[in-house]
Amino acid sequence: MTVRANHRFQAAALVAAGLLLALPAVAQVDLGTEEQRAAGKVVYDKYCGQCHGDTGDGNGYVTPRVQPKPRDFTTGKYKFRTTPNGMLPTDDDLRRIIEIGAPYTSMPGWPNLTAAEIQNVIYYIKSFSPDFENPDRYGEPIDIPRPLESTEESIARGRVVYEEQGCANCHGDQGRGDGNSAPTLVDDAGDHIKAADLTQRWTYRGGPTKEDIYRTFSTGLNGTPMPSYADSLEVEDRQHLVNYVYSLGEADDPNYGTLITAAWTEEAIDLQDTEALDTQFETAPMTRFPLVGQISEPGRNFYPSVTSIEAQAIYNRGEIAFRVRWHDLRADNSGKNSPYLEVPMWDEDNDIVASGDEGGDDGGFFGIEEEPADDAGFFGVEEVEPQDDSSFFGVETVDDSAGDFFGTGDDFFGTGDATSDGAEFSDAVALQFPASLAPEGQPELKPYFLFGDAQNPVDLWFVNLTHGVADTFRGRGSEAIEPTEADIVEAVTSYDQGEWTVTYKRRRASRAGVSFAEQQYTPIAFSVWDGFNRERGNKRSLSSWFYVYTEPSVQQTATIPMLRAALIVLAIELLIVFLVRRRASQGKAGEESASHGLAGTEAPAV
Amino acid sequence: MSAINLPLVLALLAAAGLMVWRRANTFTWLLFTWLSLWAFFKFGLTVPIPQSVVTIYVGIMTLAVVSYASSSRERLSETVQPIVRLIVEPRFRLLLAALLIGLPALAAYNVYADMSAPLEAPGFGREIHPAPPPEITVHDETVNMTTADNPYLHLHEDDPAAWEEHLESGRRVYYENCFWCHGDGMGGDGMFAHGLNPVPSNFNDVGTLPALQSSFVHWRIAKGGPGLPDGGTPWDSAMPAWEKFLTTEEMWDVNLFIYEFNDFEPRALGQH
Ligand code: HEC
Ligand code: HEC
Ligand code: HEC
Repeated sequence: MTVRANHRFQAAALVAAGLLLALPAVAQVDLGTEEQRAAGKVVYDKYCGQCHGDTGDGNGYVTPRVQPKPRDFTTGKYKFRTTPNGMLPTDDDLRRIIEIGAPYTSMPGWPNLTAAEIQNVIYYIKSFSPDFENPDRYGEPIDIPRPLESTEESIARGRVVYEEQGCANCHGDQGRGDGNSAPTLVDDAGDHIKAADLTQRWTYRGGPTKEDIYRTFSTGLNGTPMPSYADSLEVEDRQHLVNYVYSLGEADDPNYGTLITAAWTEEAIDLQDTEALDTQFETAPMTRFPLVGQISEPGRNFYPSVTSIEAQAIYNRGEIAFRVRWHDLRADNSGKNSPYLEVPMWDEDNDIVASGDEGGDDGGFFGIEEEPADDAGFFGVEEVEPQDDSSFFGVETVDDSAGDFFGTGDDFFGTGDATSDGAEFSDAVALQFPASLAPEGQPELKPYFLFGDAQNPVDLWFVNLTHGVADTFRGRGSEAIEPTEADIVEAVTSYDQGEWTVTYKRRRASRAGVSFAEQQYTPIAFSVWDGFNRERGNKRSLSSWFYVYTEPSVQQTATIPMLRAALIVLAIELLIVFLVRRRASQGKAGEESASHGLAGTEAPAV
Repeated sequence: MSAINLPLVLALLAAAGLMVWRRANTFTWLLFTWLSLWAFFKFGLTVPIPQSVVTIYVGIMTLAVVSYASSSRERLSETVQPIVRLIVEPRFRLLLAALLIGLPALAAYNVYADMSAPLEAPGFGREIHPAPPPEITVHDETVNMTTADNPYLHLHEDDPAAWEEHLESGRRVYYENCFWCHGDGMGGDGMFAHGLNPVPSNFNDVGTLPALQSSFVHWRIAKGGPGLPDGGTPWDSAMPAWEKFLTTEEMWDVNLFIYEFNDFEPRALGQH
């Protein structure tokens, strides 16, 4: 063997060794032992199978009723990864999502599982897809650099990148999830998927931190339209983009409140004078309230669009005004809606399943067919809505798009729906108040928070955003809602960059409904309908009862009560001092021989 | 032990020891007793008690201290003497002046703190487990609350295969209907729980399901929030009346499942 050959051999060995050193981080195919997978199966069958399917195919009991759907583990496609686009997640990625879950989806966190249980269930999940046996599908986790400081320049640069890269096409100009193509986005399961509302960081499914954001658009969310920007963006630009996205939201958590404080104003409240109105509302504190799907009464909404609403109020001598705001991916303002539109039972699920064994005991209690008999028939059922004055809109839309609905199989949100001029149902909102308050001193019996009950009705200030005016209804339960005209409620509405704003006004005094006295706590609740999500009637987002408090019109300063308290205490003190001193001097004068102290003056003469 | 703020208690005991050593007079002792009890109720317990309760305790303490002080002439004079001296003797003039200004200032501050506390929505108590009606009617069948039991409970022994079927049906019913509120792991923390008040019941809690008869749970499942008496604030509860959605069998199945999932057993019949 020549010296040279020997050198070559050594070099080759070195390279090989170098490769070996570099490799382990990448392709660690670790599928666990038989026992570990078996132990994982036990955990999985108890805690995961009902959603992800007992065979891992994403077809559990909940699947028809949630969006996004539970991950189908047989595809090997994962959203939340530190690995490049199209690669498999690392065990740490999986552990992270299992421990903390994906907020505002049905995937919960499992903080109570032990580290070993989680590792075992990870091995078991991996066994559902052959991809995990293939070393080529493993990629090295990306580097996530420390975030740059959020300077104005960095945010400005981030905004430029945001525009250049077309994030706004999906996420909207202001990041409210209302981009032009937002209504058309579908995930791999064929379901509509919302482009995240970047202003509400707490709803990010992959986490709210700057590192999470960096990871999200660097690796992409596989199985969704959210792309990876690893190839198109330099690291530094990505860091600026993170700062811009981060600047769109105010907080990591929503700070949900329970009370609206209505601010007093001396001026008249004029709904038409937008500028003055905005200035008046600037003085009123804003409270965010959580909304959840209505799932207590038939016509359930398992995957509501709108998850929170912001509200504020102002009032003057004679009137009170409320302003509510929420984000919606598009303005649906040509369809119909009302609080009492009937929702057939089959419309609760996002799959039209012919089996429909739901509630099958006597079948009759819902009053109408529970599932479509055939394609043509099921719209007919709904259209029978005698009280609806705008039903011709609905009919028109249906005629246009009925073909699309069924052309796309079980996909309700087929692109046909999205590109047609309007959805069948319009966006809408309602404020709810008790029709009367318990008299002073009586225990409070509120009406049922779901549109009231027979004994205690509610008043609804309903705005169908097709018309933009407020209609008033009296609710004695979901099945007993009637229009009322006792009070005139005015409303103005606007849709701007993905945000609806509705401002209501009414006289404070009412003969038939609730009056808003000063310093009064009045129960209030909210409902929001997203027409795009086919929400109408009972299928809606709602809140539980909260309160609105009319703050005192005369701002009570603390000075006078403070002075009063201080003066009273001082007066008592001085009185005591005066009495004691007088007594003492009397004692001295009266009893020259008093030598055993003051207490002696009080001792009885023996 | 962790319910008590130990450093505070030790400090109070040390102060008491110091006073024994310095032979403090009756007045000082009474003042000390009152102050230390107040401090204990206010800061000494790590689980804070509501202000209204503290006020009651302090009132009782004050009464006790006053009646002790006035229980005999001697004690009274011992108690009053230092105050009288403070007021009349010239050498305490500065202290007296400080008190005359300090106490009103304290009162004023109290008023200020009271008035600038943030507003809160009124809260109401509710009965979590009110007494059920003697009997209920579910899907035209009368269920007696004291004698009814889960009709499938006995299958556990008698027919394991049928038992498994009912359990699986209960699992389906639970995940098709309940987990949004009561949670995937039944911790009362489902994805909608944050928007509900009262929050959904936590079935992991040993104080809930094991303390209830299965007929009680059946009542709650069938009639939901609206079936509660006024003490349970039926108007606030989001708990659906499941008779609107489920068959009687499905309701007993899910009843079975929520116990089994948590390894609990219903409280036996006749136990109260
Ligand atoms: C109530 C339904 C439900 C339960 C129970 C549930 N999941 Fe999920 N899971 C989901 C949904 C829905 C998603 C999809 C979330 C998304 O797409 O944002 C998901 C996603 C996942 C993902 C994929 C994350 C990714 O990166 O794509 C993993 C891993 C996962 N779940 C593991 C588990 C494990 C392990 C358990 C049991 C301990 C479990 N899940 C229980 C509903 C559930
Ligand atoms: C083709 C449409 C589309 C484009 C373009 C797009 N996104 Fe997204 N993005 C989505 C969708 C859809 C989701 C929601 C995925 C989900 O919920 O699972 C999303 C989610 C996100 C999230 C939240 C992820 C989470 O954890 O929930 C962030 C942050 C984000 N996108 C940032 C960006 C940025 C920055 C850009 C531009 C560089 C961008 N997106 C471009 C469609 C898009
Ligand atoms: C919309 C939310 C919601 C859904 C869905 C829901 N519950 Fe409830 N549930 C609640 C709330 C809130 C409470 C606590 C208030 C109350 O006692 O009414 C509760 C209480 C209960 C109780 C009473 C426990 C006790 O300690 O007295 C039982 C039993 C119960 N739920 C069972 C179920 C079952 C079974 C299902 C599914 C078939 C279900 N719930 C679905 C919200 C819900």
